[in-house]
Amino acid sequence: MNINILAIESSCDETSAAVIRDGEVLSNFIANQKVHEQYGGVVPELASRAHQQNIIPVVEAALKKSGVSKEELKAIAFTQSPGLIGSLLVGCCFAKSLALGLDLPLIAVHHMQAHVLANFIGDPKPSFPFLCLTVSGGHTQIVLVEDYLKMKVMGQTLDDAAGEAFDKTAKILGLPYPGGPLIDKYAKEGNPQRFSFPEPQIPGLNFSFSGLKTAILYFVQEQTKKDPDFIQNNRADICASVQHRIITILMNKLVKAAKETGIKEVCIAGGVSANSGLRQAMKAYSEKYGWNHYIPEFQYCTDNAGMISITAYYKYLAGEFADLTVSPSARSSMDRN
Amino acid sequence: MSEISNYFCLMEWNFTLKDISRVAEEFWEHAGDKKVFAFHGDIGAGKTTFISELCRAKGIKDTASSPTFSLINDYVFTDETGIEQHLFHLDLYRIHDEEEAIHAGIEDALYSGAICMVEWAEKIPNLLPEETIHVTIVPGKEGRKLVSSSVK
Repeated sequence: MNINILAIESSCDETSAAVIRDGEVLSNFIANQKVHEQYGGVVPELASRAHQQNIIPVVEAALKKSGVSKEELKAIAFTQSPGLIGSLLVGCCFAKSLALGLDLPLIAVHHMQAHVLANFIGDPKPSFPFLCLTVSGGHTQIVLVEDYLKMKVMGQTLDDAAGEAFDKTAKILGLPYPGGPLIDKYAKEGNPQRFSFPEPQIPGLNFSFSGLKTAILYFVQEQTKKDPDFIQNNRADICASVQHRIITILMNKLVKAAKETGIKEVCIAGGVSANSGLRQAMKAYSEKYGWNHYIPEFQYCTDNAGMISITAYYKYLAGEFADLTVSPSARSSMDRN
Repeated sequence: MSEISNYFCLMEWNFTLKDISRVAEEFWEHAGDKKVFAFHGDIGAGKTTFISELCRAKGIKDTASSPTFSLINDYVFTDETGIEQHLFHLDLYRIHDEEEAIHAGIEDALYSGAICMVEWAEKIPNLLPEETIHVTIVPGKEGRKLVSSSVK
């Protein structure tokens, strides 16, 4: 008997649905123009409450692509927290209704735990215990993973997330939102040693990116006073230098965590793991420190239901089900899971 | 300090990171029963930093991190009568217009009766409650100047 699970993610901007069979993701759809052209509806710029318009088309698309019928499902999973409450509610209510209608068990998933477990989609898979650096627009965490559902946040950002540091730097440089991918693009042509930006002195394994943002702003303002075309003439070097600093802040803490725990299995997760500089740094640091490193396929790095489905699969195996009284939560710690 | 602090008119503080916690305490003393605070200032002015300090002063233990991506951070604190209250930290940086803000549930938070700290509030001039307090943070040579007023 196959374990087929339908998973729904609606914690922030993206409405996504995925179907998993015995730990293998069969389909992973994120609401976009193509899904809407095929199944009707419009794409709002920022999903949020408009998840309501997206959810039926993406679920239809995910089921159809997987070849799994509703009758063959064994459970319905959804993102319970953290996220924007109005957005979470849509996924939660939809999942509950479907579970009730099909008489299936319900599985509540923590979004940040799911980012980590995205590393178990495909091969090779990390072995326990391992460290995961989760970096996205909204989060920056170092997580100690002892088992599929046993995780501990060792450090996190005290202010801005790493992805936000990329996006806000882009804004300072006059690049459009989201600017992270553009910084990465220009950085490839620049000299990362050209400009030096400060590394914040934060104790332990926590991060701070707010001071870096201010330092970049003042630096650019100061230089622009002397040369009005400073940004234009030095864009690649500024981007390369900023990216280099953000990455060294991340990697230095990861090295610290690896030393403290003695762990050599190291993963990254979250949207920023698409950054080419971070990927190169992971490779270089792994060679230097003798780590085995893992990075999920890109479609499982940004917010997606595939990662919710793999987490739901392990929760199914562990018998961790939610009842119909479950409600979403905007903020909650995953240490309790 | 102003004598008519009930109206929260033109309060002004100059501070550095060293005395930011004292200023946060004073800010709450003068805030009275005001609920919605719109923060103005450029990127890097210190809006998130000051709001984090305001959260700490209310006894919020969770990390008060930036809601730029999440739009709304929902915190819980215990007020002086021992009742649990919500405090919303909103950031409209990614929001394009007022309609989008409504779809994201921004209005629900602003009119919930809970304390709201709003960054980039200039994007939603028509959604802000009338009694909103406007707080402007201006970077100086040393530290920051903070001005709060019942008018923008």
